[in-house]
Amino acid sequence: MQPEPSAATATARSGAIYDLGYQGYDGPRLGRRAAIATLFWSSWRAAFGLGRSGRAKIVPWGLTIIALLPAGIAVGIVALVGNAIQPFSYDNYLSQIQVALTLFVAAQAPELVGGDQRNRVLSLYFSHAILRLDYAAAKLAALTAALLVLTVAPQLVLFAGKVLSATDVLAALGDEVPKLIQIAVSSLVYSLTLAIIGLAIAAFTPRRAYATGAIIAFFLVTAIVSAMLSNIGSPPIAWAPLLDPVGVADAVNQWLFTGIAMPTNREGIVDNPAWWYLAALAAVWVVGIAVIVVRYRRIQA
Amino acid sequence: MPLISARALTKRYPGGVTALDGLTLDVEPGIIGLVGANGAGKSTLIKILLGLLAPTSGSVSVMDMDVATQGTRIRQFVGYLPEHDSLPPDLSATDFVTHMGRMAGLPADASRERTAEVLRHVGLYEERYRAIGGYSTGMKQRVKLAQALVHDPKLLLLDEPTNGLDPAGRDEMLDLVKRTGTEFGITTIVASHLLGEIERVCNFLLAIDGGKLLRAAPIASFTERTGTLAVEVEEGAELLVRRLVDHGLTARLDGQIVLVDLPNAEPYDVVRDTVDELDLALLRMEQRRHRLEDLFSGAADDAA
Repeated sequence: MQPEPSAATATARSGAIYDLGYQGYDGPRLGRRAAIATLFWSSWRAAFGLGRSGRAKIVPWGLTIIALLPAGIAVGIVALVGNAIQPFSYDNYLSQIQVALTLFVAAQAPELVGGDQRNRVLSLYFSHAILRLDYAAAKLAALTAALLVLTVAPQLVLFAGKVLSATDVLAALGDEVPKLIQIAVSSLVYSLTLAIIGLAIAAFTPRRAYATGAIIAFFLVTAIVSAMLSNIGSPPIAWAPLLDPVGVADAVNQWLFTGIAMPTNREGIVDNPAWWYLAALAAVWVVGIAVIVVRYRRIQA
Repeated sequence: MPLISARALTKRYPGGVTALDGLTLDVEPGIIGLVGANGAGKSTLIKILLGLLAPTSGSVSVMDMDVATQGTRIRQFVGYLPEHDSLPPDLSATDFVTHMGRMAGLPADASRERTAEVLRHVGLYEERYRAIGGYSTGMKQRVKLAQALVHDPKLLLLDEPTNGLDPAGRDEMLDLVKRTGTEFGITTIVASHLLGEIERVCNFLLAIDGGKLLRAAPIASFTERTGTLAVEVEEGAELLVRRLVDHGLTARLDGQIVLVDLPNAEPYDVVRDTVDELDLALLRMEQRRHRLEDLFSGAADDAA
């Protein structure tokens, strides 16, 4: 059909519509799995402010650097004075950068899910080739994967430092390589736990500041209550450490490396069997995921 | 097989509001106007077609696929322009439309190519690389249309596409919608409460009222000539009515306009002669057309 005269003459005006014809699309349509993968990668990039303005990069990159800094310093010390001092080991590294990790979740979980609610992009997502729960799963996976950068990267720096500073590099490599699996598993446990909690809270408000505040408050309150309860009474309340989800993840992390489930800085206070912490961690995951599922089933689009 | 087929579709919101009430309809390809007052159920119907809302009862299929079970497949072939804002302010139009193309299942390269094409089609050029947050309402509306078109849908659902636009932007958007429907051959459903817009763009009309189908027919049948002759004289309309009735015609006064029934062409001559006889100043004489508005005023009369 010929272009309408009004459209053709409109080219002279500013903001006018040009007519250069239209081509249909007969190529492949990749469907739901490709759409989920697209959402995962775009969300992972958004977690680091990639493809966004410079301002959007300050917080995630700043926190990533903070998470890496202790490992860099440790490797530097080892390089200067040798292996005599080991300021950090794999089993306690994540608990040392815990503040950076929780702040990353508090800042970036609302970034991943709040904006879509605030700008009502959610109704566009839900009208594409995905299901509501696919959206939630892609966001959770993206936040977990972003946290994996912060948790795995510094431990790889430690790993490289340990191997390269050894007198016998090959022997050191043989010693350290099996620990890579432990590093991967413990980083995944830590990252997934923080991501589930962050998303379960952030999904409930389009307001970024509220979500960030609520996530920080959750981590602070659970940590403080847990610490207070485990310090009062004699003998101390044995189940008190289970009230702090980050502490629980930390205990599981310790157990993965040392075989002893003990939250960092609680040594000697309580002595709980490992399965307590594993069960508590499972409970955090189940409850958190259930909250996310309920929220995204019902959320108005 | 109709493109959309709804059977006894009912949607009740919690709280007791019935948005759709046993709606049954078939939609054939074309540019279809979906009209109804605010709250008539237009947006609810569109959201059910997209699978954004589940119907309380009844069934609906799009392209012969059940919305309830094959939603993700259907949505690969459907484009949606929501009534409300739905754009992230921190992304550029190019990045956002490319992303939405991939969400609809296009491979990355194809999505980039088609993004360039549809942004050109909707008339976004240099500004496409700037963040959407700085766009005017008209530009945002074009981005919304572009993201609905990027995957070359078979069905385009536009919910109040001229919402918030100034008259010039409204004209441009309507032209764009019309060209998209006619040149691309994409079946387009335009929901609007503005009958004038529907009349300009669409060739078929679905009128819903109170969640029920009021009428489904080609636009032409709504605006065809009626059997009524409208006569306007400068003064003496009442006198004219009396004299026309004396001459055996069925005539009545509607405001200052004399309406004469037209069973055949004869009344034209009678009116002309009578006006001459009474020495009145004839301003206008024309056969009346139906107007879309009559549809709803008729419905209101029926209800009353």
